[in-house]
Amino acid sequence: MAARVSEWLDERLGWRKVWEAIFLRKVPKTNWYYTLGSAALFLAVNQIVTGILLTIYYVPTPDHAYDSVQFITGQVPAGWLIRGLHHWGASAMVILVGLHMLRVIVHGSYKYPREVTWFTGVFLLLAVIGFGFTGYLLPWDQKAFWATIVGTRIAAVTPLIGDWILRVMRGGDELSAVTLARFFGVHVWVLPAALLSLILVHLYLVIRIGISALPKRGE
Amino acid sequence: MRETKRFDRRQFLGALTWGIGALISAGLGIPAVAYVIGPALQRKEAQDWIRIGSTTKVELGTPTLFKARVTRRAGWIENEEELSAYVRTDNGRDFIAMSNICTHLGCRVRWVSGEQKFFCPCHNGVFDKDGNVLAGPPPRALDRFEIKVEDEQLFILGG
Amino acid sequence: MNEQERRQYLEEYHQAKEKGPSFYPEVVVKDAIVALLVFLALVALAYILGAPLEERANPADTSYTPRPEWYFLFLFQLLKYFPGRLEVIGVFVIPTLMIALLLFLPFIDRSAKRHALSRPIITGGTALVVVAVGLLSVQAVRETPPPADTTLGDPTATLYVSNCAGCHGPSISVPPSTNLHAVIAQGKHEGMPAWSADLTSDEIDALAGFIVSPDGSRLFTENCGECHQASELVASDPLELRAALQKGADYAPHAGLPIPQWTEALSAEERTALLNFLVAPDGQRLFAVNCAACHGRSVSFSGDESTLRQIIQQGGLHLEMPPWRERLTSDELDTLANYVVDPSSAPEGQELFSRFCTECHGDRVPVVADPAQARQVIASGGGHETMPVWGDILTPEQLDALVSYTLEASRGAPLELGQDLFAQNCSTCHGDFGEGGPNPSRTDDIIAPISSAEFLKTRDDATLRAIVSQGQPNFGMSPFGTAHGGPLSDEEIDALVAFIRSWEEKPPVEFPPEIASRPLSIEGPDIYAEVCAQCHGDRGQGLIGPSLSGPGFQSANTDDEIFNTINVGHAATAMIGWGEILSADQIHQLVSYIRQLGGGQTGPGPGEVSFKDDVLPILEAKCGVCHGSLGGWDAASYQSVMESGDNGPVVIAGDGGGSLLGQKLLGTQTIGGLMPPGGELPPSEVQTILDWIAAGAPDN
Repeated sequence: MAARVSEWLDERLGWRKVWEAIFLRKVPKTNWYYTLGSAALFLAVNQIVTGILLTIYYVPTPDHAYDSVQFITGQVPAGWLIRGLHHWGASAMVILVGLHMLRVIVHGSYKYPREVTWFTGVFLLLAVIGFGFTGYLLPWDQKAFWATIVGTRIAAVTPLIGDWILRVMRGGDELSAVTLARFFGVHVWVLPAALLSLILVHLYLVIRIGISALPKRGE
Repeated sequence: MRETKRFDRRQFLGALTWGIGALISAGLGIPAVAYVIGPALQRKEAQDWIRIGSTTKVELGTPTLFKARVTRRAGWIENEEELSAYVRTDNGRDFIAMSNICTHLGCRVRWVSGEQKFFCPCHNGVFDKDGNVLAGPPPRALDRFEIKVEDEQLFILGG
Repeated sequence: MNEQERRQYLEEYHQAKEKGPSFYPEVVVKDAIVALLVFLALVALAYILGAPLEERANPADTSYTPRPEWYFLFLFQLLKYFPGRLEVIGVFVIPTLMIALLLFLPFIDRSAKRHALSRPIITGGTALVVVAVGLLSVQAVRETPPPADTTLGDPTATLYVSNCAGCHGPSISVPPSTNLHAVIAQGKHEGMPAWSADLTSDEIDALAGFIVSPDGSRLFTENCGECHQASELVASDPLELRAALQKGADYAPHAGLPIPQWTEALSAEERTALLNFLVAPDGQRLFAVNCAACHGRSVSFSGDESTLRQIIQQGGLHLEMPPWRERLTSDELDTLANYVVDPSSAPEGQELFSRFCTECHGDRVPVVADPAQARQVIASGGGHETMPVWGDILTPEQLDALVSYTLEASRGAPLELGQDLFAQNCSTCHGDFGEGGPNPSRTDDIIAPISSAEFLKTRDDATLRAIVSQGQPNFGMSPFGTAHGGPLSDEEIDALVAFIRSWEEKPPVEFPPEIASRPLSIEGPDIYAEVCAQCHGDRGQGLIGPSLSGPGFQSANTDDEIFNTINVGHAATAMIGWGEILSADQIHQLVSYIRQLGGGQTGPGPGEVSFKDDVLPILEAKCGVCHGSLGGWDAASYQSVMESGDNGPVVIAGDGGGSLLGQKLLGTQTIGGLMPPGGELPPSEVQTILDWIAAGAPDN
């Protein structure tokens, strides 16, 4: 039965070819450090799933944000777990993306023919930092508020357009409801869209070119 | 022989991969389901005795309207709502409390003392002084609250 | 990398791939295992540490020290090394450079070599960056909190800037005896609000310290700010503060902390400035914190300034306690001794203690271990409690303030104390304002007002003192002086008399009480003028009480209702029942007089005042500047006059004295201040508005 269903689907979707291309390909011998990238990918999935769940209850306005986060943490079943996974997942993401990047540098994997993979990787790193910065404000607690005040003010030091950047980030002169709303929008729409596109290109390139082999000393 | 062993190893690793995948999915998925449907399953908050006023305010034989403010919690938002009830007594000792919400479509009924009846302004429902339907579309008598008297104060059970 | 090298790489890579395993399942299983471990770690973190959530964001709280998420810490730390105009390097140049380097790495390192050891520059540079980021992060954690003051500044200074600098400019100089805390808390001069509504007591203390010693505030932020907030330390015990500064790391609560010896880190002047900041040289506060525990609330000192200064400076045994064996029985001495050793063992001692000891000891029961020793000390009296050597503890500025406050306070008339004492001891029988009332100890007797001008004129202070002290047993008044077994000391009686005397200037009740015993001696109009006019106005136009002449009152009340109101009074208001004082006949006379007031009045009668022509121009000219553009009550139109306002309607038709508008104009309001803030309106304009309200506030 299962065989017939998969046959039926394959005729229409051609999934076996896809499966073979992605999973049944030969790769050079690797070591455990090569799992860092996929761990980061797993975390991205974790962040997306828990993030979507959080938006079910979270409300991005100053008068409700804090209460709704408190509600998620204290009242909703498993809310503490979902929020905990998202919170710690963010930190883990930064660590793993960083380690993955170090692995790539140490193995010289950014070299021919994987330069574009590297570019997308650098942008992915920036996206992750952007996630961290925008997500920080959302609980609307003291730490969120004041760290964002300082964070946005730091951006204002940029020469020439600093003030303009500050105003764009805050949506005005002050940190306000507008800031919270736009940080939320960037955190759940703009950055995820960027992240997913970048991940898709990144993975496509990894599969197309293949994972780099462990370099040998003698070359 | 060697071929089968290799095959076994591959099968084992494949199963292990899928097993771990299932484990993580369950670890994330089961809490996720609880998280999504949890609040919907939470039972309504227990009812509480709400003080609505003094017994001396009830005129003998005349349903008297009392209003009390109750706090309702929905999610993280607390709302103050008004709970109103008609209280009637014939002897000053036994009290009955009726909701002033028409059983038809939820309009507020009012006591018309000249006629000694409750009238609902929306669709002309008429109830007698005990809340029984006399005329109009209401399907049943006015709802009753449980009521008790403590220290000359009236309490109704609601929430 | 040239063409050949590329081809060679592809060739070798192809071979490596052929020799290698299949991605599924050999490689992917490793990924799965790592993913599982990561997931378990996250669950463990979520379970053990949870997701932190601090207090709700409070934009007004400028004392909060923000700390960024850990992965931004290195950047924050980096900024510390680029102060002022160099900041742009830390904020912009370095990060941008790093990102650019990272992005263009494939173009920078173009060799064919891939092994880490064959690329020493890249490997070394990366290692350097990693180590630097690590070190910066560690350093940032060690230097908790991160550089809050570079972005938010000294929190007390911020408090000063946002609350005081607007009117006072960058600094305020105050004379040493100023009770700054009280001035800030209550507001003192024209236009200064009572800050106690907006600031906590601790914040006010910090502000007082800042005003007196801005340097101290800066030193505090620099040296103590990492661990302490100013508001938690201000007005603490100076003994503790001094000890903390002198002992450095040996100070018990600071044990084990990496802090310097403050005596070396700070100069003597700096330490003084710091102490002046923490315990503002504010005599009243200093007295309350340091002296009141032993000396009670009443400040009394009869010597000159230098003696006082010497006593405070030197401390030691300066309180001479009387030998109580001359005044107490042996049993009483035993009871007191037991009470002092263990208050719970001798509850009956509490009464003795409060009668004889609290005057000096306040509520603080001295600690003695042995009843025999306690008895000895109490019985023989003499110097028995050691005062700290305040000269070593307080800064010179603080000493000055304390000395001048104590002198000032012991000289000035203790009106407030007298008022408290009156409320506690006298008002039950004499009423809150000495207006008298029924005598609780003798039926059918009425206590005459003691606040009338007549009463006060005919009794000098000595007589009053004697009456309070000895009581008037014939009239049911018990003695209040300690000499006669009462609770009040001579000083307290002095305060009480001074308070009673203060009525003479403006006695609350002019009405002579003898009227009650001679019911027919005065007639309706006179009674009205003597009694009712005080609150209702001499023509019934309403002052504190509602208007009696307006149609609102006249038409709404029958003669019987007016009679009843005069007879029994209004429970919710200051209107007392006059039935016990006036005869029924007199009340009837009053009723008919009040009816006359309603009918035949002079001046603009109700209905003659027009809102549009008379009232609105006044409101527009005198009120419209603020009321109309600044929210709250809006004076622009009839509708807004009647309906707007933060405190409900400001006009109660027919009741000028009861309307908030009327009260504000007359200065009898219970909230806020007189309006307009610049001074009262001319009486004629006030009268116009009151007449309009009395006429029922018509829209004419």
